[in-house]
Amino acid sequence: MKVSMNWIKKYADIPVSAAEYESRMIMTGTGVEGTEYLGSHLNNVVVGKVLTCVNHPDSDHLHVCTVDVGEGEPLQIVCGAPNVKESVLVPVAKIGAELPGGTIKKGKLRGVESFGMLCSGPEIGVPVELYPSVGDAGLLIFNEEYAPGTPVAGIFGLDDTVVDFEILANRPDCLCVWGVSRETAAAMGTELKLPEITVKEADGNINDYAKVDVTDFELCPRYAAKVVKNVRIGPSPAWMRQYLHAAGMRSINNIVDITNFVMLETGHPMHAFDLSKVKNGHIIVRKAEKGETLTTLDGKHYDLPENALMICDENGPTGLAGIMGGEESEITENTKEILFECASFDRTSIRLTSRAMGIRTESSGRFERGVSAATVMDALLRACQIVNELDAGDVVPGVIDLYPDPVKPAELTVSCKRISHRAGVDVAPEKMKEILEKLLFKVELNGDEMKITAPIFRQDIDQEADICEEVLRYAGYDLIPSTRLRGETPMGGKNTTLRNRDRICSFLTGEGFYETMTFSFISHKSIEQLGLDADDKRHSCVSIRNPLGEDTQCMRTTLLPGVLKTLSTNINGGNENGRIYEMGDVFDGIERTGEGLPVQSTMLTLGCWGEGGDFFSVRGIVEMLLKREGIKPEILPADEKYLHPGRQAKLIYEGNVLATVGELHPDIAAKFDIDSRVCIAEVNLPQVFANATPMGTVKSIARFPAVSRDIALVMADEQPVGPVMVAIEKACGKMLESIRLFDIFRGIQVGEGKKSVAFSLIFRAEDHTLTEEEISRLMKKALKVSKEQFDAELRS
Amino acid sequence: MGIREDLEAIGAQLKEELASLEMTKALEEVKVKVLGKKGTLSGLLRSLGQLSAEERPAAGQLINKAKEDFTAWIEEKQAILEAKEKEERLRKEALDVTEPRDLPCEGAEHPINAVLNQVLDCFTSMGFEVAEGPQIELDHYNFELLNLPKNHPARDAQDTFYVDDNIVLRTHTSPVQARTMLSKKPPIRIVCPGRVFRADEVDATHSPVFHQIEGLVIDKDVTMGDLRGTLDAFAKRLYGDDIETRFRPSFFPFTEPSAEVDLTCFNCHGKGCKVCKGTGWIEVLGCGMVNPKVLEMCGLDPSVYSGFAFGIGLERITMLRYGIKDMRLLYEGDLRFLRQFR
Repeated sequence: MKVSMNWIKKYADIPVSAAEYESRMIMTGTGVEGTEYLGSHLNNVVVGKVLTCVNHPDSDHLHVCTVDVGEGEPLQIVCGAPNVKESVLVPVAKIGAELPGGTIKKGKLRGVESFGMLCSGPEIGVPVELYPSVGDAGLLIFNEEYAPGTPVAGIFGLDDTVVDFEILANRPDCLCVWGVSRETAAAMGTELKLPEITVKEADGNINDYAKVDVTDFELCPRYAAKVVKNVRIGPSPAWMRQYLHAAGMRSINNIVDITNFVMLETGHPMHAFDLSKVKNGHIIVRKAEKGETLTTLDGKHYDLPENALMICDENGPTGLAGIMGGEESEITENTKEILFECASFDRTSIRLTSRAMGIRTESSGRFERGVSAATVMDALLRACQIVNELDAGDVVPGVIDLYPDPVKPAELTVSCKRISHRAGVDVAPEKMKEILEKLLFKVELNGDEMKITAPIFRQDIDQEADICEEVLRYAGYDLIPSTRLRGETPMGGKNTTLRNRDRICSFLTGEGFYETMTFSFISHKSIEQLGLDADDKRHSCVSIRNPLGEDTQCMRTTLLPGVLKTLSTNINGGNENGRIYEMGDVFDGIERTGEGLPVQSTMLTLGCWGEGGDFFSVRGIVEMLLKREGIKPEILPADEKYLHPGRQAKLIYEGNVLATVGELHPDIAAKFDIDSRVCIAEVNLPQVFANATPMGTVKSIARFPAVSRDIALVMADEQPVGPVMVAIEKACGKMLESIRLFDIFRGIQVGEGKKSVAFSLIFRAEDHTLTEEEISRLMKKALKVSKEQFDAELRS
Repeated sequence: MGIREDLEAIGAQLKEELASLEMTKALEEVKVKVLGKKGTLSGLLRSLGQLSAEERPAAGQLINKAKEDFTAWIEEKQAILEAKEKEERLRKEALDVTEPRDLPCEGAEHPINAVLNQVLDCFTSMGFEVAEGPQIELDHYNFELLNLPKNHPARDAQDTFYVDDNIVLRTHTSPVQARTMLSKKPPIRIVCPGRVFRADEVDATHSPVFHQIEGLVIDKDVTMGDLRGTLDAFAKRLYGDDIETRFRPSFFPFTEPSAEVDLTCFNCHGKGCKVCKGTGWIEVLGCGMVNPKVLEMCGLDPSVYSGFAFGIGLERITMLRYGIKDMRLLYEGDLRFLRQFR
């Protein structure tokens, strides 16, 4: 909210610099985004009186003038404006002035020296609404008398600083000049000088002009109106235009400007109706009926949502309550009688209607944040007072005020001791009283107990904690001490899940992986691009009802689309090789928790490309990851549609698939704009942690010698070797210390469609040296299981 | 010729041969030729039989003495040659130690998690437990229990993604606080890190997905001073002992009184720089004393218990810490960015 500091100063003195003011307001809880001095481009621009003006000897349009600028010798200035003449008062930019068009320097025009510039309105950057003749051609000539040397900034009302306040959500009462003036006076310790409101009334009776009916006091707790007759539409005076300009509002005419001025000053949005356009002067506040329409002030035509609160006359809707007036009853040059409306509307209703119709206005914004019904009359009468001041019409006696259920000020009793304790700062009860009274609270102090009545405009006060904040922000947040927590200390620390995840991350980063993060959203399209089976669970996502676009349509059921996008970014970004992982949550689109929330689980997906990113390296990483969790999985070919059909494996433990590893299918790679081989591993972390075994006790080192035997088995080429090794391990039992594959041979010698697989077996017993007999029995077992289960023969 | 002369001749020849030797291999041959089973000394020993019994002991002594001498000569030479050869081998093995090699990838956790872990270390060491909760959350926990009833205007400030009327993507990690208060008896000291969501379009400083860590302490005797003490400790642990906190009045529906907290700019240490826009302070977090209404809704008696809560945006402090200008870099996963972290 932008407010002229001069305007605030009318009601509360600010005896400090703008910077100091800003800092004091911030520290007492009124946020300030920044301040801007409006006249910074008008330093060194003063009123000058043209003493002499003669034609330039070498030019047919230039004039050589001497100008009195109120100090020293008159300045010689060359001027090209046709309207320059002796004895006029004009703005003079002296040497060093920094105008919007550049800095003024001493110059020479066709041989004649010039010590400054006589200026037009646009040259000194003054908008037309701040000075009527600013837009005329040529020099700006002042109509009023000013002493030469007077700085011009003040003449245009630009000797002012605009303060951009950031008002907190609980303080709608501060969204106006009076509100920030109240805080200013309290923060500065100066007197608050809000105007006394008196209205001079003409003759007549409001009831002869207007009648108001409110059908729903829930949605419109208060509706007040005054009538002004013999309206004299015209421009507003300079001071009013200047305040509106500082707030970023345009001046329209005196009546409309009064409504805006009063809104800025009191926080109450107001509306002025042309009474001649309101049928029978009868205003009805009611909900819209089905099929009703309205043309708003800005000329747009709307179908009204049912239940929207409308301001109507006997013909139908004339305005959207609290949001925007209708075109029909707009103020025009010919308006003679007006009705000022000042009301309070239910903020939720305004919010919903404003949302539904897509109309947001200054007024609707204020009502949404909360406008107090209690202060409606102050604003309405203030408007009438200004009508008097500007002589913009004659105020008709009488007021319409429909306010069946007046707001009562908050009353509460609090303990000073508890307040001090909560704040952590010792504030004496008397000091609390003083602070609260400065903020216009009524306080009765009785020992530790304070009986408080909040000012009527404070809707945010309803408990002791609120009083604590009021006290603390004026006692000073700087006083809050730095104390350590006391009492029983909980054990603290990360939970098991986090420690598990940390362990996995530290392993992966040690293996050269970089962690990546992508959004939890995916598009339906990106899931489809994975080419999964139609009935794959991952197609069913939790949908977002109000997505920002395709990319935020639903919650991810798999990390794959994100990881593939990251891989694509890297590969297309010229990173030749790399290892990345994402550990993140996925959401089940079907299964729900007891509370009805989608089941959420943390998954891990690895992506590797280039050197170190081949299938076996990545599978090795996953095996190692599992090994570190105490899991030795069985490895079998897998059948994921998004992976290369011949290069993918699943790692199984006790019937659960803990991980899938494979090379990305070239068709899927193409869809994600990936043109090199990449390897993916998906690890089901919850399953891994569920099957993990903690580190147990250690075995002592075997003292008896090991015996090594090599065997070569001939088997069908398509027979995976993993299961063969698992079977041999099982058959030999614990005497087999290890089995290692060391060669695979394909060729004529072993027959078409066959391969010879050579293993090195190491046998050892813990308690004795194995005999030749024992070893050959074990070897026989190995051969037997190979023959029976896999039709594998000893290579001869 | 006598034995003595023979030995002298053998010795002289051995000396000559040893002197010209360059390699340990050749030395072995010389050794065999003189001291071996079929060597010259063995030949002399065998010839002793031809001598008389009186001459034999003296001759034998001479031969044994010579054997000792010759062996010593050969060993001496061998030591010299071995040392020379070792020196030669080591010289040949020398590497150009400045020759560059490709390094293995270092690997690193995501900067947000790196910063999160620092923050967690700090709070867990003060006895805070880590609590987590669902990212898709009931409106009840995300808003209502936190003093944000339906249609409250403050809800607009947190543009919310909805799944349905009652289920939202959590807009902060505060619902974890509500859940903890409902399920656990004080004393409570928790921090809740996690992903949160707001319907903001992506740009350099906004993202519909981001991360927070919030803290909550509830006990019988908790003051705003304890809040400041806790955050002071956090600031000093993370950014250094000279970092101070500045509390400014603010408003949050779930705390009363509320504060925004600035830290001494950790770039310029308070002198004023670009990072802090010349103020010497950086706005880092929001906090306050838990609103008694929230305590009550979560089943705790506000006349017995009080507490504080705070919330930190991890993206913000990560970006400040590493001078990251564009939030999007955090979610693109480009290794040219990530490889800079360690």
